[in-house]
Amino acid sequence: MAKIIHYRNKCIGCAICFEQQPELWRMSKKDGKANLIKALLKNQVYQVTIHPSQIELSVRIAEACPVKIIKVTQSENN
Amino acid sequence: MRKATSFSNVEILAPAGSFDSLQAAAKAGANAIYFGIEQLNMRARSAGTFTIEDMAEVAAICKLNNMKAYITLNTVMYGHDMQLLKTILNAVKAHGIDAVIASDFAVFEYCTQLQIPLHISTQTNVSNIESVQYFARFADVIVLARELTLKQVHEISSEIKRRGICGPSGQLVKIEIFVHGALCMAISGKCYLSLHTQNASANRGACIQNCRHTYTVRDTETGDEFEIDNEYILSPKDLCTIDILDQIIESGVAVLKIEGRTKGADYVHVVTTCYREALEAVLEGTYNREKVTGWMRELKKVYNRGFWEGYYLGRKLGEWTHQPGSLATERKIYLGKGRNYFGKIKVGEFLIETGNLKPGDQIMVSGPRCGMVREQLDQLIVNGVEGTKAGKGDCITFPFATKVTANDKLYKIVEAANG
Repeated sequence: MAKIIHYRNKCIGCAICFEQQPELWRMSKKDGKANLIKALLKNQVYQVTIHPSQIELSVRIAEACPVKIIKVTQSENN
Repeated sequence: MRKATSFSNVEILAPAGSFDSLQAAAKAGANAIYFGIEQLNMRARSAGTFTIEDMAEVAAICKLNNMKAYITLNTVMYGHDMQLLKTILNAVKAHGIDAVIASDFAVFEYCTQLQIPLHISTQTNVSNIESVQYFARFADVIVLARELTLKQVHEISSEIKRRGICGPSGQLVKIEIFVHGALCMAISGKCYLSLHTQNASANRGACIQNCRHTYTVRDTETGDEFEIDNEYILSPKDLCTIDILDQIIESGVAVLKIEGRTKGADYVHVVTTCYREALEAVLEGTYNREKVTGWMRELKKVYNRGFWEGYYLGRKLGEWTHQPGSLATERKIYLGKGRNYFGKIKVGEFLIETGNLKPGDQIMVSGPRCGMVREQLDQLIVNGVEGTKAGKGDCITFPFATKVTANDKLYKIVEAANG
């Protein structure tokens, strides 16, 4: 199972995630930061499970994030 | 004897990237501070950036210390930033922040609507009188491009008076220039290096400072690599104008800006103090070489990449750093943090978490109440009794004027190897 983890507090609102993967990301109209769609807030970070087909692009976006606040994790029982 | 009164209103504008630096600026005699909140400022990457909730406290501290507070909102703005921008500007209005420093026209527009005083950021690259005249319809203070010579600065200042160019307040437009701190290798900070290598836009406050590294040139035919003369060829030395401050004042500028929102309270305190003293000396006519030597010695103690006086004397950018990081002649070593305060006798207690301390050591405390306090520890009280050494796990106590909390950090000051 793969997950995206988003440490939202440090987001600078550059919008690269939303530009590249709009099916998973939105820009908040309220505070200009990125929102991970349908993510659950757990221990002050946002998390959402993604489909294996979304992993490759998500990893690229995590690398492209200028403040490195996006992580993609894959558990072994996948 | 004081110089012409037209110079006596010159302001020293200090950077406040944290409450520690804010207090340090106040204690060092800054007339005004600038700060950023959330992600719409050029130091968005900085760990210590303020939040919108901090604005009330920043405003209160500034009011208490009779300092003006300017907020930086000078990044490139995108459509999705507009709501946050409006939220911030409404808070700016509510808390009575004195002005907004901006470069994007969306900010100009909202500030005009809300009647918030505006300063034109150096990011706007204002380099001539016609630009000044254009921006005067929005702003009472204009920060000139850092690439101008003092002659050009003087011409602009004189022309403002001659043409009678006034800002929205009806007063003559004031000119602000950078007098001290880091310089960008790109014109007016418009650098793409960080964006190209790490997708981290400097123009959104996310600069990763590629320019501060060393680089090699590779011959593509032979594959031979050359390190360029052992220099950091993209990393300019820091701006320092204390040795030409008399000329700077004569050029007619009204605000002297110190760079350094990511630097510590010690930097803010030392640099602000030196420029405050130098400004007073210029105004009193007591500014001399001997004093300049003393200030330079102090300025070299805190973070710096070596100094040059920027473009003001018409020099081209060729003053590159020779070493990575700081050339400061002193270094601060973290020892521990505040634990207790005995208010009646004004004694602070600190827990040593690392390192050691002995009588006679120079110590520094940095905190959100005290700013930066530095002193020599003549008597060392370790765990309640006089001792000759304190180490990890020990509690030390010494007289301290302001309340000590866990947010106060204790450092030892030592000479740096490159000093």
